[in-house]
Amino acid sequence: MSEAIIQIKDVHKYFGHVHALKGVSLEIQKGEVVVIIGPSGSGKSTLLRCINRLEEFDKGSIVVDNIPLDSAKNINAVRTEVGMVFQQFNLFSHLTVLENITLAQKIIRKREKAQAEKVAMDLLDKVGIPDKAKAFPIQLSGGQQQRVAIARALAMNPKIMLFDEPTSALDPEMIQEVLDVMMNLAKEGMTMVVVSHEMGFTRAAANRAILMDGGQIIEEAPPNILFNNPTHERTKLFLSKVL
Amino acid sequence: MEEIEPSVPGNPIDSHNPLPKGKGDFDLWWGLVIGVIALIALLVILVPDPFSRAFNFIKDGIGISLFVTIISFVLVLVVGLIGGLGRIAKNPVIAGIATVYVEVIRGIPLLVQLMFWYFAFPSVIQGIGKAIGSSALENYIADPVVMATIGLTFCYGAYMSEVYRAGIQSIPKGQMEAARSLGMTYFQAMRYVIIPQAVRVILPPVGNEFISLLKDSSLVSVVAVGDITLRGRQFMALSFKPVETFIMVALLYLVLTLFSARMVTWIERITKLER
Ligand SMILES: Nc1ncnc2c1ncn2[C@@H]1O[C@H](COP(=O)(O)OP(=O)(O)O)[C@@H](O)[C@H]1O
Ligand SMILES: [Mg+2]
Repeated sequence: MSEAIIQIKDVHKYFGHVHALKGVSLEIQKGEVVVIIGPSGSGKSTLLRCINRLEEFDKGSIVVDNIPLDSAKNINAVRTEVGMVFQQFNLFSHLTVLENITLAQKIIRKREKAQAEKVAMDLLDKVGIPDKAKAFPIQLSGGQQQRVAIARALAMNPKIMLFDEPTSALDPEMIQEVLDVMMNLAKEGMTMVVVSHEMGFTRAAANRAILMDGGQIIEEAPPNILFNNPTHERTKLFLSKVL
Repeated sequence: MEEIEPSVPGNPIDSHNPLPKGKGDFDLWWGLVIGVIALIALLVILVPDPFSRAFNFIKDGIGISLFVTIISFVLVLVVGLIGGLGRIAKNPVIAGIATVYVEVIRGIPLLVQLMFWYFAFPSVIQGIGKAIGSSALENYIADPVVMATIGLTFCYGAYMSEVYRAGIQSIPKGQMEAARSLGMTYFQAMRYVIIPQAVRVILPPVGNEFISLLKDSSLVSVVAVGDITLRGRQFMALSFKPVETFIMVALLYLVLTLFSARMVTWIERITKLER
């Protein structure tokens, strides 16, 4: 295997007295899809947010695409390589769908308006809602908002996509349309780190599944092995609650 | 948390519009402005002594009052933005300076602050001039309008900082995180994402600050600025007609505040419809 695109070494994170990450180490290869599962409060979001430095960590190191996350300049460089999709979508509510997708392209990637809009329309086609370009986020369903959020992140041509429980805030009938978009991304070879308890998606798309508990990685294995033959007691306990 | 309302027909923003709507309010409000103007005109025409004399004497002050208010307000918008960003800054030194500014200024009466700027500040400058042997500083004379504008700006800037801070903090944290995750810097995120949303939230309180500032500008009469109030006091001293004088002064302020309130509502309405 080649050099890992994400290298996490012994990362610790404290929120005051809460030790949210207790020495997490993880390497993710280019093109890999990694799904992280685990009980609420186990540090899954915190780990994801450390990868693009929305959260600062207290100890250890993270290197993304050969860029160490240390100086402010590097952090912005990494952020443009790493797209993030949030549980609550976080679309910019004062902007139309089209403007949501073009804003950062124009500011960060310095693209002309016409070029940025072409990129945006192609991506809206890809996520299946080209007719919503002129709508405001509040006028869309949750599933549509989340697909716009994915398009917005993809417009920056990221090398890595992070998903933090992208379907947890959705009504059940909208989950599949978002998973389909993610599935296609995985097939295209996007490097993805996904926090999700969607077992179907994980089995179909993930190269590796990781169980986190208490701020640590407890077990990692290909999804079928982790789900069917977990080695650790904590994994068995967690799976018995979720499955 | 964002609410998820799938495909609401029509413009969903309208349903959140707290502004008075409909022709009735429109007519009533303008009716008040026009009514007060008509009352002034009637008094001036029907009872020229002293109302016509009073109006002609005081009217120079209208421009001064508006000038001081508007210049201060423009500066207050800038100072408030800086103060508001300072209040929420992660850097404890910046946050500390902004907090001390806001709390100290809000704890001192505006009248006292105006007196400080006009009476005390120049002698501080003169004292420094004497100490360092600079005759320019030693002979420094304060211009009343400049000092009054500085005083109003410092004071209202503190209140406005809190308005901005509250407005910025009312925007969900996820908006900043989404902007940062796309690679925007803190200031780019503020400029393109947070402040445009905060502006809609703070427009009503900012409008109220303007009207308060307009009324509080009457305090500058104490530091020798020839505004509506000072001209009124001078006319009273000449005419010995306090009742008529202050009826005229009050009516002039009333026209200005009612008109401003009307403009604030109008601006709120067009910014809501624009999105
Ligand atoms: N901003 C924060 N401030 C304080 N504590 C936090 C914050 N974010 C997360 N935590 C704590 O860190 C731990 C891990 O949280 P999180 O990463 O969100 O877990 P998960 O995503 O697995 O549910 C929890 O105990 C949580 O309460
Ligand atoms: Mg989480």
